[in-house]
Amino acid sequence: MHWKNIRLIFLREVRDQLRDRRTLFMIAVLPLLLYPAMGLGTLQMSMNFTEQPRTVVVLGEKHLPPPQLLEGNRFVSSWFTHPDDANKLKVVTDTAVELGGGGLDAPLNLKLIAQAQALRKLIDEHTAFDIELEQAESQQRDPSQGPADESLIAVSQRIADLKARQAALDRELIELFAASQIQVLIVIPDGLRENIERVNRMIAKRQTEDITNLSYPRPTIVKNRADDKSVVAYNRVRDVLDAWEDEILRQRLADLGLPKELPKPVGSVSRDLAAESQISASIWSKMFPALLVIMAVMGAFYPAVDVAAGEKERGTMETLLICPATRTEIVLGKFLTVMCFSMSSALLNLLSIGGTGKYMVSVASSAGKGVFAQGGAITLPSAPALAWMLILLVPLSALFSALCLALATFARSSKEGQYYLTPLLMVSIGMTVFCMSPGIEIYPVHQASWFYSVMPVVNIALLLKALLLNPGNTGALIFVIPVLVTSIGYSMLALWWAIEQFSSEGVLFRDGERFEVALWLKHLLREKEPTPNFTEAGFCFVIVMLAQFASMGPLQQLLMSAAPGEVGLQMMKLMLIQQLTIIACPALFMTLLLTTSVRQSLRLWLPNWKFVAVASVLPFALHPLVVELMSSLGWFFPKLPPGFARLMGAMGDDEQPLTLILIALAAAPAICEELAFRGFVLTGFSRNGRSGVAIGLSALTFGVMHMIPQQVFYATLLGVVLGLIAVRSNSLLPGIVFHFIFNSLGVIRERVSAHLANDHTEKFRQSFWHWFATIDENGLHYSWLTLVICSVIASLSLWWVWQSGRSKPGAVTVNNLLPSEFTPTTSHSTSAS
Amino acid sequence: MISVQQLTKGFDDLRRGWVAALDHVSFEVQPGEIFGLLGPNGAGKTTCLRILSTVLRPSSGTATVSGFDVVTHPAEVRQRIGFMSSNTGIYDRMTAFEMVEYYGRLYGLSEELLKLRLERLFETLQMNDFRDTLGAKMSTGMKQKVSIARAIVHDPPVIIFDEPTSGLDVLVARKVLATVQSLKDQGKCIIFSTHIMREVEKLCDRIAIIHKGAILAIGTLPELQEQHQQPDTEELFFDLIERYDAKESGSPKPEIGTAKN
Repeated sequence: MHWKNIRLIFLREVRDQLRDRRTLFMIAVLPLLLYPAMGLGTLQMSMNFTEQPRTVVVLGEKHLPPPQLLEGNRFVSSWFTHPDDANKLKVVTDTAVELGGGGLDAPLNLKLIAQAQALRKLIDEHTAFDIELEQAESQQRDPSQGPADESLIAVSQRIADLKARQAALDRELIELFAASQIQVLIVIPDGLRENIERVNRMIAKRQTEDITNLSYPRPTIVKNRADDKSVVAYNRVRDVLDAWEDEILRQRLADLGLPKELPKPVGSVSRDLAAESQISASIWSKMFPALLVIMAVMGAFYPAVDVAAGEKERGTMETLLICPATRTEIVLGKFLTVMCFSMSSALLNLLSIGGTGKYMVSVASSAGKGVFAQGGAITLPSAPALAWMLILLVPLSALFSALCLALATFARSSKEGQYYLTPLLMVSIGMTVFCMSPGIEIYPVHQASWFYSVMPVVNIALLLKALLLNPGNTGALIFVIPVLVTSIGYSMLALWWAIEQFSSEGVLFRDGERFEVALWLKHLLREKEPTPNFTEAGFCFVIVMLAQFASMGPLQQLLMSAAPGEVGLQMMKLMLIQQLTIIACPALFMTLLLTTSVRQSLRLWLPNWKFVAVASVLPFALHPLVVELMSSLGWFFPKLPPGFARLMGAMGDDEQPLTLILIALAAAPAICEELAFRGFVLTGFSRNGRSGVAIGLSALTFGVMHMIPQQVFYATLLGVVLGLIAVRSNSLLPGIVFHFIFNSLGVIRERVSAHLANDHTEKFRQSFWHWFATIDENGLHYSWLTLVICSVIASLSLWWVWQSGRSKPGAVTVNNLLPSEFTPTTSHSTSAS
Repeated sequence: MISVQQLTKGFDDLRRGWVAALDHVSFEVQPGEIFGLLGPNGAGKTTCLRILSTVLRPSSGTATVSGFDVVTHPAEVRQRIGFMSSNTGIYDRMTAFEMVEYYGRLYGLSEELLKLRLERLFETLQMNDFRDTLGAKMSTGMKQKVSIARAIVHDPPVIIFDEPTSGLDVLVARKVLATVQSLKDQGKCIIFSTHIMREVEKLCDRIAIIHKGAILAIGTLPELQEQHQQPDTEELFFDLIERYDAKESGSPKPEIGTAKN
């Protein structure tokens, strides 16, 4: 690999992109113009919104008691928390209208007052009905109160009648209010001022015996909760009236010579300790990780499509392929270009968003308007936070650049390339939405932290979230290492995939062949080959996964419907059915339909007996190692849902016959999963001649099929062992033996643990066996002695398996096992091996 | 210089199943010789030349260029060939000079040598008028010149032309052919594929007639004319193809079968 060539290609591609108006527009011009334009639009809209004052009509202004509540067509501004808010409410009073005030608005005000008076009439009627209704109801409870000649039936009839009339009145009121242009109507009853002054005087003279009776007509405020404008206006009116009423109360206290604080015996004070920089940090930490992910995808995608699919489309791909640069060099050059644009695009976007946001907030708060009016100034993230963002952007951009490049290489044309953006973007958005959810965080450290720290994309977004919130957070820094290591690992994998794509002549020289589903199916069924191909193997896995997903609901229902005592039994039955229908069936059907040799596809050969022997020893050695590995990795994985643990418990239950458990949990998976994953899938993946990649991929699919993170992890590890055994022995049998014994040991361990935990713990501790295992609340654990012995046996067995297949040239399997240099198919790609 | 032995390349096709684009093709080309590959569209010419340029891998058989196997030593092979076809486009957003310079650097020419080569190439191919024109703005003739300059910038001993005149008007085509002739005079080993008889008659020292992936006849033009008693190249070509097709469909006309290497 020559860096000179990579540099040459990189520089050429960058120059090429910079000369392309479309890319420049997408990457640089759009973010720099779009966000300020959007900001301007939003500001303008919010200005328009806030400048529209809401109409409040006050009837009976002359009955208002002091202090002064109204001033012209506004509330007195001192009653508002923010005095400017007074402009947001336009008050129309009957007094002002009668005096002919209102200037230009006079006709409108006249109309509003007329509407308000019509409403008031209805409200008064409503109140009258209320009083009548109350009387009738009290009479119903206690007949002696009313006229003696009225029967109970007549009373209840009268109540029903009143209620019906009131309901009709309500409907009329609602219609009338909705049709009016009034947002809030305040009706001040006649004599309110006199009543209040009377009470004030009584209080001042301390005529306490009369104060108990304070029933005089109170003001009514009419609003419509379903109308946003009315709600906003009402909330403001409410605040104003509360403040005003407090003042009246304070006046009374002052008249009595009592302290003002009297009505608030507790009077707690709330104190917000969020510094402005913290409020900003919280906003940035929610916004930036998500934006960074989306911008990195978008920024990578368009250049990737142009440098890969675009090059094919314009016919320069072949020109490049015949130059001495290797495929790896070409891909790396292009990858660096894409990454460069992805990073600059993400940074430019964030810069523009941050700048626009800050500017908008400062404009909004200085004008005292808009959504952020109370938010204060927003500070940009600190320098360390920005530095972290830059550092984490590198692996993020690398991953997306490599992915996009692989997809774009696969595409025949730019147009086809564009189609792949949607799914990629949807997945990225899904991930960012997950990361933005309030509870999802990597720090403070919790059960799932370490798990999150190795999930692609999510790990970077969550770490950034933690670091933006508090850049000096040394606790979150421990996650930097796993996040960076795994992210770089994923990027390398994606890059490897891109190089693979670039080395495949099928991808590079895809013709614009017409694709017809019918034709393709016919081709599949007619032109059968002895063994499945790569795509068919992948498809088999997809079918297994989809079937598993579809069966989850029905299986759960069946399990729920089982009688309490039979959950375990039902579970066994369902497991058996699931294995047969969901895992074995797709593989078997696909083998019969798509291949000519069932034997070869599913490796139904008799193996060398040595492989069977090794396969029956190996699980005994691996079982303790896996158990201890998983228990020592317990901190890493998210906790299992409690329901699942209960079900697992039911399976280890002593009540179940051991044979049934072994059939359901060991024999069925051993046969079905081996048929599918070491049979069809592994054979299909091996077709491209690289057994290493095939074993890895089949192990990964086998792991993913197990769904639960813990199981995915160790199933993948075991999948590698099983795959190796299957490839080396070219038979399914050793794998089945291994799988059966391994699963059985798991079941037996549960059984023994349960048995010992009950009452034999002491006896066990004193027996010979305590050298090999201990027992605690989590069940049986293996001692260091056991682990050392097992490691030795496992290593020897694995080494034997590893070397035994290779030393037999000429055997059927050897074609698959040859190192890639020997097969002509791969010699082009210098990188891949 | 170029040696092709029993070269076969097949691919999977939805409609036709497994198709052999090249079927046990063998030939050799010496330095200072123009070897013509004559065949109708879809005969397998491009597939054969793509294998020689290491872009495609053969299903079976071997091909060597200057003694280097195209499968095991692709980098050495690419370093020693110049390849030009209607599929090898030029970049729209690069000028003629940048394009040729870029490939010169990829071929590992030192800066002084590159400068010399560029000056001479732009001079001999008369490209100085448009050396700073972007690819997108060039005429077809200009593009073809840039392609040729790009293919020979590293002065390779072997040059492969895959239908270099397709889509060109007569004037430009004539200039291209003249360039090919002058390269031959410099002692290069040249493969020239085409479906135009006139070009073969004018340029090629030896020809192979290729059809449906198989070579039907191989030799110098006079040899072939004598062998098949057909003085007219065009008639010879159609005769061979018709006989091959007839044999394929089952009619007994066996005499051409022997010509197939």
